Amino acid sequence: MTDEKRGRSEFFSHPEGQSIILDSIADGVFTVDGQWRITSFNRAAEEITGVPRDEAIGQLCKDVLKADICEKSCCLRATMKTGKPVVGKQVYIIDAAGNKTPISISTAVLRDKKGRLLGAVETFRDISVEEDLRKEISSRYSFEDIISKNPQMIRLFDILPDIAEGGSTVLIEGESGTGKELVARAIHQLSPRRKQPFVAVNCGALPDTLLESELFGYKAGAFTDAKRDKPGRFQLAQNGTLFLDEAGELTPATQVKLLRVLQEKTYEPLGATESVAHNVRVIAATNKNLETEVREGRFREDLYYRINVFKISLPPLRERREDIPLLTDHFIGHFNLLQKKNIVGIEAEAMSVLMEYDWPGNIRELANIIERAFILCKGDFIERKHLPENISGAGDAACAVPARSLRDVEAQFLLSALRENNGNRALTARKLGIHKSTLYRRLKALGLGPGDG
Amino acid sequence: MRLALSVHKGNISTVFDAASDLLIVDSSGEARAGGLSYRFVASDPAGRAAELKDQGVGALICGAISRPMETHIASRGIVLYPFVRGGVDEIIDAYRANRLDQANFFLPGCRRAGPGGQRRHRGGGCSPGRPGRGGRFRF
Repeated sequence: MTDEKRGRSEFFSHPEGQSIILDSIADGVFTVDGQWRITSFNRAAEEITGVPRDEAIGQLCKDVLKADICEKSCCLRATMKTGKPVVGKQVYIIDAAGNKTPISISTAVLRDKKGRLLGAVETFRDISVEEDLRKEISSRYSFEDIISKNPQMIRLFDILPDIAEGGSTVLIEGESGTGKELVARAIHQLSPRRKQPFVAVNCGALPDTLLESELFGYKAGAFTDAKRDKPGRFQLAQNGTLFLDEAGELTPATQVKLLRVLQEKTYEPLGATESVAHNVRVIAATNKNLETEVREGRFREDLYYRINVFKISLPPLRERREDIPLLTDHFIGHFNLLQKKNIVGIEAEAMSVLMEYDWPGNIRELANIIERAFILCKGDFIERKHLPENISGAGDAACAVPARSLRDVEAQFLLSALRENNGNRALTARKLGIHKSTLYRRLKALGLGPGDG
Repeated sequence: MRLALSVHKGNISTVFDAASDLLIVDSSGEARAGGLSYRFVASDPAGRAAELKDQGVGALICGAISRPMETHIASRGIVLYPFVRGGVDEIIDAYRANRLDQANFFLPGCRRAGPGGQRRHRGGGCSPGRPGRGGRFRF
């Protein structure tokens, strides 16, 4: 008998004693030899998998466990290959009745006294209860697609169905990236108009003349190049909801037209001779304080009162820091699905960095930062070094992630400029000496625009 | 009739829900030759059931399968032979010779002794043996 075989033999030579020990463990435990055949299988493993020990011993572990990862990303195989243990990977198994059970698995190699490889061990735990609890908590803290446990947001969740049920105009105030469009969509989804269109238009992204034809459409011949009729957003949103984002950017001329449209319930496409009646619920949103805008004469008072039938104020992320872990977890799950990755979470040090940051770009910025971390993170957990330099601390060179492209530099510069101006895009554009629509276009191109987060 | 097998590296794939490749053969043909490879686009039960139907599949041999997945596929009139293991060639041979109910083709823990071993739509054990009784459903 060779030394290796003797070592293996010694290891497995006391089945009764080992069985007693293994059966006393609440977690499922099995061991495999170098050919992935099961050499021991404890009682908890029988209970979790539904496979009796005598049927499991000697079988390929994948046939016994029946986990989703067995064929394409086997943890035991990875552990045997690298020698590194896998800890707490969440997978699911399917039992004989077709039940899908979520389990958490950990693996390690087994070596004899001389360090020779004998096989590997896998421990696993049924996490159905934790999963159900997690879903319960997650459903309690989410409403439509909005996630929060902030008291102000929870109060909003409570009244949102009532707001949705009525057909009145709603004004949503909140900094850029606080989820104004999500709230508007939630109102639409909860309203009797849910089966009708939801049409969004960004008032700040278009010059005045274009915005008018965008909102109300035009008739053929209304101007040069108007070869045929073009429906406006009001027509596209007929019987549904029209979301006017960045309504604070409307020029006085458009404000007058919009006021008339809201009051008369009719509009005139450019070049039309007759008014068209509409049945559209308008939800307006702004990152400005419209009351201040009215006081300073930049926004019409009559239009303000027309759209401010019900006002919703969304708190910035820095005022709902308790939501940062919840949202981070949500975005990790989101990008795992989207990018087919399996990042488990974020390290405590990186999380504390996120908790301390001021979030001028709010939730959209958090989403972008997690997406960026996904590109850099090759392990199971997002670490501090995967966060941008401006967040993880500019002075900490060891943790700095250098910009890898001109695009990164531009994105960081624009985000920094926005931060200096408290997220106010019009002001940022003025300070940068560019037109606000240019700023919008650049932000959109960089994936930082409205709706990108 | 077209017979589909959920395959991975020449064997029946252990978990159908996580598998992506199919081999589609003529169930009455003489050999595996001429079989078509197909890769699923969808991963959800309704999408996969629709893809199988689009491919003209009448019967599916696969490994472990979740209940929602099985219900969707069976509701499309596709006969299921779930919880099967083995090499693709030997499984095709066994299917054609009506020998799929041999113990060596069951995944461990998925065989129930005697005639009570048939898998029912909701719960129960599993066995890939007899059509309509052992491990497959006809709707």
